[in-house]
Amino acid sequence: MNTSRDKLSETLRDWRVKPPSDPGFRAAVWRRIGRQGEATWPAYLRAHTAAWSVAAVLTFGVAGFAGRAIAQARVQADREAMVVSYLVELDPRAQAVLKP
Amino acid sequence: MKYLLRTVLVLAIAAVAAGFACYHFNSAPELHAAARKGDAMAWLRTDFNLSERQFAEIQRLHEAYAPSCEEHCRLVQEAIKTRDELRKSQGADPAATAEADRALQQLRATCESAITVHVQQVAAVMSPEDGKRYLALVLPKIVDFDHQVAPDLTLARKHGH
Repeated sequence: MNTSRDKLSETLRDWRVKPPSDPGFRAAVWRRIGRQGEATWPAYLRAHTAAWSVAAVLTFGVAGFAGRAIAQARVQADREAMVVSYLVELDPRAQAVLKP
Repeated sequence: MKYLLRTVLVLAIAAVAAGFACYHFNSAPELHAAARKGDAMAWLRTDFNLSERQFAEIQRLHEAYAPSCEEHCRLVQEAIKTRDELRKSQGADPAATAEADRALQQLRATCESAITVHVQQVAAVMSPEDGKRYLALVLPKIVDFDHQVAPDLTLARKHGH
């Protein structure tokens, strides 16, 4: 009994684990830590603040410019139509063509 | 990935809202309403920031101008009719046709002068900036009206005085 225990102890004492070295181990650990950090939406946004800030500025700029341009084009078109309508009412030359 | 899509969606909704806000603040609802109704006086009132007094004065000017406009209109119609009859008639005297053309051109020039004087009177009632803008809008069209009126007639919803 004692002999077998001594053998086991001896075997355990001599046992050495030599795992192969993994060069990507450290990066993998950081990746996992990073993924845990993005577990919530605010955390994701915090992690990508710069990229989304640029995207937001560009998107709002384009949207604002487009809204303004469309409004101004419509104002311009309606104004042109009203000028013509107004002058048709005032101009005898147009009246002469229009009246039966 | 779901956060990326969620962020894109929120950004898109916010951008559409911003676009609508910019559209709203640059829009002119009263001008559009006047255009929809084809109401030239409402357009004048809103687009040139007329006060009640200015609007009443411009209405008075328009009413005073209307009879001469009608008379000019009648004379132009008669001149067109005379000219067209001369052109259609067999063996028409070329000198008479030319004379009819000349009379019509003279009448048109008279009309152009009358309407120019009228719009200058209207502009004088407005504030200097609005009057200047009004003249810049209408005077070029008056000068070119013979060329412009034909394609644009469909825009005029009502005619007469």
